[in-house]
Amino acid sequence: MDKMVNLRMNGRQIRARAGQTVLEAAKAAGIDIPSLCHHPAITPHGACRICLVEIERQRTLQPACTFPVAEGMKVETESPKVIEERKFVLQLLFSERNHYCMFCEMSGDCELQALAYRYGMDQWMYQNSYPKIPVDGTRKYFIMDHNRCILCRRCIRACSELAANNTLGVKFRGAKTMVSADMDAPFGESTCVACGTCLQVCPTGSLVDRKSAYTGRNAQVDRTKSVCLFCSVGCGTEIVTRAGRVLRVEGEWEEHNRGVLCVAGRFEPVYDTRARIKTPLLKKNGERVPVTWDEAFDVIAQRLKNTKGTKVGAWTTCKTLNLTMSELVAVFQGKIGAEVGVLEPTLDELELPVGGSLSELVSSDCILVIGADPLSDHRVLGYHIKQARMKGAQLILVTEKANETSRFADQSFLPDELPKAIKICQNSVSPFVVYGGGTTKKDAEKLAGLKRKAHFVPLFPATNGYHAKVLGLQSGMNKSPLDIVYLLLEDVIPSEEVVQRAQSAKFLVVHASYHGPITQSADVVLPSLLWYEQEGSTYNLEGKKVPVRKAVPLPDGMIPESEVFAQLAARL
Amino acid sequence: MAKVKVAMDWLAGCAGCEMSVLDMDERLVQLLEKIELTSTPITDLKHPPKEGVTVGILSGTVNNTVNVEVAKEMRERCKILVALGDCAVFGGVMTMRNFCDMNEALKRAYVETESTVEGTIPSSEELAKPIKACPVKDIAKVDVFLPGCPPSADAIHYVLSELVQGRIPVLTGENLKYD
Repeated sequence: MDKMVNLRMNGRQIRARAGQTVLEAAKAAGIDIPSLCHHPAITPHGACRICLVEIERQRTLQPACTFPVAEGMKVETESPKVIEERKFVLQLLFSERNHYCMFCEMSGDCELQALAYRYGMDQWMYQNSYPKIPVDGTRKYFIMDHNRCILCRRCIRACSELAANNTLGVKFRGAKTMVSADMDAPFGESTCVACGTCLQVCPTGSLVDRKSAYTGRNAQVDRTKSVCLFCSVGCGTEIVTRAGRVLRVEGEWEEHNRGVLCVAGRFEPVYDTRARIKTPLLKKNGERVPVTWDEAFDVIAQRLKNTKGTKVGAWTTCKTLNLTMSELVAVFQGKIGAEVGVLEPTLDELELPVGGSLSELVSSDCILVIGADPLSDHRVLGYHIKQARMKGAQLILVTEKANETSRFADQSFLPDELPKAIKICQNSVSPFVVYGGGTTKKDAEKLAGLKRKAHFVPLFPATNGYHAKVLGLQSGMNKSPLDIVYLLLEDVIPSEEVVQRAQSAKFLVVHASYHGPITQSADVVLPSLLWYEQEGSTYNLEGKKVPVRKAVPLPDGMIPESEVFAQLAARL
Repeated sequence: MAKVKVAMDWLAGCAGCEMSVLDMDERLVQLLEKIELTSTPITDLKHPPKEGVTVGILSGTVNNTVNVEVAKEMRERCKILVALGDCAVFGGVMTMRNFCDMNEALKRAYVETESTVEGTIPSSEELAKPIKACPVKDIAKVDVFLPGCPPSADAIHYVLSELVQGRIPVLTGENLKYD
């Protein structure tokens, strides 16, 4: 058990864990000390001085965010001296750069502004020098307005500690100090990976999301805790919506991804401009015309009833939620004996464990990555691997050819040399094995020797591959000729091979969110829901079942996939 | 009891603060039982009376040489000077000009504007000369600061009510806003 210390705060006796900072101890005791550069997910820095407190026997006021508690300490958090000093610090912060709230995107949610209100700032004591400071708009998804920056360095710490990317730093000194990327490159041309973690932690209007700027303040928006459905890491998200529209996606701090998302989960989905399928469509005289759900169901059910089960095939993307995938199996395999499977590989041949956690991975001393490229396909896991590496872990990569992750590998081996990599793991204290779709059955047999020692993290090539594996679904479409093919794609673009295979069927049903070449050749098209409309559960890479929540009301006439299967089953 | 004399004037502003004063609606009528509005930019008399007033209210940024005169005249003729709105308190939108050179700003406004053909920068002797935009307090001592863009009618009502009762208002909560 941790050692406890006793201290007095504002005359109140409180207990705190040794090693805690004054700020943490105060928070635990329900005493509110204002902070600005501090963020609970990153290392305390003491840059802004707003959390200054009076500590007995200290020569000057001390920042609560970095000062550790000690036995018998006496702290005053809101004494007249402290308040006077905080007001002074605020005046200094406002005297630099451009902090005119009335034309700032962040006004209303800004942490600097909130502090100015709290301490009753009704004028500026020091004349602003109106320095000429640039705005960097070279990045696609968000801009950096240096004019609003208070140099708290939250973005810099988030970039190095959470995204483990080390793109951000500062250039120059004193009042001329500026946040910069890669020693002084435009952000858009830097090593920035657009994960957006800096954007999420910025306390002022310095980092502004292009898409959701001026669309609503915190008090006006709704937040729905959900799961990112764009890879099998399954990051916790908060979908920010207003009036049924998605404004942006933020990373959930309480989940295994610790607030971090990647460009594929945070930004790209919000920018999807493909044409949405809004109603069921039926092929009539060569044209696909809108019909009611009932008509579409009747046509499909009629065809299914008149066709032998063995001549029917149903495939789904692994992206679907647990219930949807199970229902598809129950209807097509259970009811009519059709062939069912998933489109993406599921690691079904590999008999290796799952369940290694990201928090443990970060403190591992040796990470073996095989048959995968986390930094392109499972980026948030890639960031965690880089975090572990910064703490001293060695990264062993087993791959046929160089990939994005290679740059960070301490040692790279060809698949033939796997035993060498395994040996390194055996000689380490808490090894992790991260295995992806490129892992062969033979590799898995060799890796099985590490089962007792290492944690294993599977990297499924598609989001809910874990559930597909549990259900024992075959991956890939078979080659035998079929009369009916049912494809559940959601928002996934099918491969050329899948399109050709599907087109060879006599009757094709495509269940998808967006129009595309495949819907052009379908006999029936059914609309499916999008990532922010889904409700149910999926599995994340730790093998944990996590709830996916609907962030907006369903558009008129949309039916969840699992409901579609229930309706079809009722007609068979 | 004699009514408290109040004078208002504006500098470089948008009249949003004056709209907010009118937004007090029927409370303005009640206030007028206790105060006398001697002059405002939106009534007939524009200048504060020579014999002086108790409360002077200025909105807008000190933006040119005439603004300086108006601000100084108000200061001389009132006991308590209120800076009303973000422009008067902090400098406001007009100070965006300070981030660039004055000639650059004038050229952008009068010559390079997309809709302008053969534009020239006005140079008549009769015109006020633009200066570096600044808040009122840089020109005259301000006693009460009421920020907001514009300040809410509630905040203005609170400030005037306090002043009428002989107290210097202290802004907190919803009355203290910068936007």
